[in-house]
Amino acid sequence: MIVAIVIAAIKLLILFAVLMLFVAYGTLAERKVSGHIQDRLGPYHCGPHGLLQPLADGLKLFFKEDIVASESDKILYYLAPMIAIVPAVLALGVIPVGDSVTLFGRKIGLVVADINVALLYLLAVSSFSVYAIVFGGWSSNSKYPLLGGLRSAAQFISYELILGLSIMGVIMVVGSFSLVDIVHYQKSMWMVVYQPLAFIIYMIAATAELNRLPFDLPEAESELVGGYHTEYSSMKFAMFFLGEYANMTVTSAVAVCLFLGGWYSPLSFLSWIPGPIWFALKLMAVFFFLLWLRWTYPRFRYDQLMVFSWKYLLPLALVNILATGGVMILLGGI
Amino acid sequence: MVGPLLKGLRVTFGHLFKPAVTVKYPYEKRPVAERYRGRHILKLDEDGREKCCACGLCEAVCPAGAITLYGAEDPEFKRSDVGKIAETYEIDYARCIFCGYCVDACPRGAIIMTTDYELTVPGPGRRHLYKDKDWLLEKRGGE
Repeated sequence: MIVAIVIAAIKLLILFAVLMLFVAYGTLAERKVSGHIQDRLGPYHCGPHGLLQPLADGLKLFFKEDIVASESDKILYYLAPMIAIVPAVLALGVIPVGDSVTLFGRKIGLVVADINVALLYLLAVSSFSVYAIVFGGWSSNSKYPLLGGLRSAAQFISYELILGLSIMGVIMVVGSFSLVDIVHYQKSMWMVVYQPLAFIIYMIAATAELNRLPFDLPEAESELVGGYHTEYSSMKFAMFFLGEYANMTVTSAVAVCLFLGGWYSPLSFLSWIPGPIWFALKLMAVFFFLLWLRWTYPRFRYDQLMVFSWKYLLPLALVNILATGGVMILLGGI
Repeated sequence: MVGPLLKGLRVTFGHLFKPAVTVKYPYEKRPVAERYRGRHILKLDEDGREKCCACGLCEAVCPAGAITLYGAEDPEFKRSDVGKIAETYEIDYARCIFCGYCVDACPRGAIIMTTDYELTVPGPGRRHLYKDKDWLLEKRGGE
């Protein structure tokens, strides 16, 4: 029992460290990709090709003056940045990064907790991140953060629904909520082949959940200054950013698990490369896709955002579920 | 609807691999035009005397009011060939707009502009941009 707890703790620590690494270098990747897309170079000065930039950024944010809005609701104001990072870290627990390995005669699965409701847990936990944004917007006691927070709440409700419905197709095919089972199912063929529409809808909804362009209404710089984190500075601001990039990493990881075959290699002759490395490669590919989207498309107008969600994506997701069910009945799956 | 979206993605992806147009400024510098209007210098003549005779035309023509000068006599003709020099000659680079009117106005070609544009100074305060005659004067043997 104690050994099991220790192993789980070690796994969590390693995963957390890797997540923080991804977050740090995610910010650098964002700036590098944006730079090169705009024919610039991005950060170049700190270390070779700017590789030490995340360290410099972190150091700078630590030493920044921490300004607290005087009329703010103090408890929520301090709570919001803390909540921002929590959902991503919680979600980390159910993401399998590889098959089980045998160490010291003990079989260790490369997932912290293989629970049979992993996907439900993920959906529940990821909805948490809207609290950070709404609390941040409300407690700042300032009009722009408030507007950003409200927009975010509306956006979350719309797209959370679509996110859940897009995953339904996968669950129907696999017949399990466990992420480990879902990845095992994709050993020979990726889920994206069976569920292409679900994959597209998932990626759109996930981008909206992450408040990233083209869905970054909550922090629309040109209209809302900085959105919900306008009144935050120093490490509180950094926590929001940490949360954003941690959420991006986790969402990419979930996309890899659900649609891109998890830790399995895409071609059988490449299977000598260990699973976690495949997982990381796929994760980076999805992460890059999110960056690529951001630096390509302009922002939606607010009404377009809502129309797109309710009038197009929702019916599409429902059609996908119906079609999946119909095909399964025809194939005699049930 | 999907076609243009994909086209956009293709354009941005193409730009990822294009060479950057950025000049890494402190390490690389772009060539400057020959007639670029940068930092001023006060010229010396062949005998090492100051050309400026403190006529005050540059001060009068300066649209930004950046030039302040005060003349003095030089009866022995040691520092000037006309017996009059600028006692003080100051340019406030916080005000100067680098129009070059002072150069045009000068009847003796005593003030010219160089191509040097790196006038930033470390530390706070605009007083560092207030340059006196020692700084402006053409270095003997140099420049």
